[in-house]
Amino acid sequence: MTTVQLRIGRPATLSGQGQRRAEGRAGGLLALPAAIYFGVFWLLPFLSAAYLSFTRYDLAGMPEWVGLDNYRKMAEDPGFWNSAQVTLVYTAGSVIPSIVLALAIAVPLARPGRLNGVLRGLMMIPAVMPLVATSVVWRIIYADGGPANAVLGVAGFGPVSWLTDDGIALWALVIMVTWKHLGLFVIILTAGLQGLPPSVYEAAALDGAGPVRAFFSITLPLLRRTLLFVLVIAVVGSMQAFIPAFLLTGGGPAGATEVLPYYMWSNAFGFERMGYASAMAMVLLAVLVVLSLVQFRFLRGGGDD
Amino acid sequence: MTRVLLCLVVAVMLLPVGVMAVVASAPEGGGAEFSLFANIAEMFAGGDFPVYFRNSLILSFGIGLLDVLFAGASGYALARLRFRGKKVLFVLVVGTLALSPTVVMVPVYVIVHQLGWIDTYQGMIVPSMISAFGVFLVRQFALGLPEELLLAARVDGAGEVRIFATIAVPLLRPALLTLFLLQFLTQWDNLLWPLLVANDPALWPLPVGISQLQTEIGYDIRLMTTAALVTAVPPIVLMFFLQRYYVAGLTLGGVKK
Repeated sequence: MTTVQLRIGRPATLSGQGQRRAEGRAGGLLALPAAIYFGVFWLLPFLSAAYLSFTRYDLAGMPEWVGLDNYRKMAEDPGFWNSAQVTLVYTAGSVIPSIVLALAIAVPLARPGRLNGVLRGLMMIPAVMPLVATSVVWRIIYADGGPANAVLGVAGFGPVSWLTDDGIALWALVIMVTWKHLGLFVIILTAGLQGLPPSVYEAAALDGAGPVRAFFSITLPLLRRTLLFVLVIAVVGSMQAFIPAFLLTGGGPAGATEVLPYYMWSNAFGFERMGYASAMAMVLLAVLVVLSLVQFRFLRGGGDD
Repeated sequence: MTRVLLCLVVAVMLLPVGVMAVVASAPEGGGAEFSLFANIAEMFAGGDFPVYFRNSLILSFGIGLLDVLFAGASGYALARLRFRGKKVLFVLVVGTLALSPTVVMVPVYVIVHQLGWIDTYQGMIVPSMISAFGVFLVRQFALGLPEELLLAARVDGAGEVRIFATIAVPLLRPALLTLFLLQFLTQWDNLLWPLLVANDPALWPLPVGISQLQTEIGYDIRLMTTAALVTAVPPIVLMFFLQRYYVAGLTLGGVKK
């Protein structure tokens, strides 16, 4: 109400020409650095990536237009298909178990109580640890005489070369990132669970539904959107994650852990194939945009819970 | 029963952290006494770690403060002022949120290379200095500021920039502080960009320094783990104070990274 009265009282200074001009000047001034920054370091690079993907460019000299050559080359490049496959296994292998585990932990952990609050905080520690620190620790864990092999030994299995066996290295990374992301997913899911209406559960209990029945017929359907959100951030995140491979295995052994962003990185900065790397970036972007649209469609659009 | 199981799960999850603490607390040359503090002192006494540590502070504070300044100013402008190009800027920010750094990494490197910024602090700082997430955060917060306060200042004849600096900024403090901490922690953990831009070890922050030492043959595992522990402490401590904001940031970051 105050607003309306003031506007009536001082129309000339507040909604008139003078005020507009003052806002225009100040707004332009305050927003200018951000406008320049996003233009130079995001819009221009985005357009350049699209352009470079049709060129051959090695940083020296000028980009040379080659049409669709990079995309054709990609279709025939075993390295690209290997990295696409590794990315797929890496993503599915880490996302599915971490979401299932996170859900199993989140359901009991979402209940109120001091202890649960403390446990939720502790679960987040791996998620917030810097990746470099994480990799230092897991290198120790995966060392030949390290804790991972000690655990295997207790279980009656022989020692394994975790990071240098090409059948195992990718799974060693999957275990590490599942461990690292689990806490974050648990926290998001517990937040979602705590938002569910208790009355539905009370009604179900009155109707004689047990906890298992309640989980499958109430919790899962109601938690649909939160689960989808976790799924999308997990997939999008893991499709772009290559620091674990970079730090622990260097993409090896023999390309067994060479995820797509890592293959792109080595083409760009190892072999200075900027054009080819940009073409891969465009393919990655296309996949990510599709995933974002899925997320947008489900989170903003449909769903009534 | 479920309580015991939950405690067990958390204990298992913290085992790697325990491994880190044990290795970082081992004395030089083996033995059983607790030497964590001696190791930390040794780490800071000389060699490369103090340099990495200083560079990490420069990058994290520098980018954190620049982000607060510029994302704060533009987020406020987008929320409360009418100016030319407002819609364009908004679309640009939203578009950036959808774009991943991995996708634009190559051209950004080309730009930094063309600017002659390889092996400079500005080359490490400027390309990351404003976060679209930050602009968004401040804009959302600024949309909720009471119009009466701004109007009162306008009636008193204060200029729009002054209204921003003296009235809006104090009210935006929670959003700006959150943004600073999230950006500080993001940069504290930033490996790829500094690794690309800085070839000179004198410019390396902790993540680059640790990752490079890790690949050397015969590196000192004890000191390396101590460094990892020291690197891990600030985010873990801050997380306990800021869990709510942290999750919001990580989830948004998860979409972006």
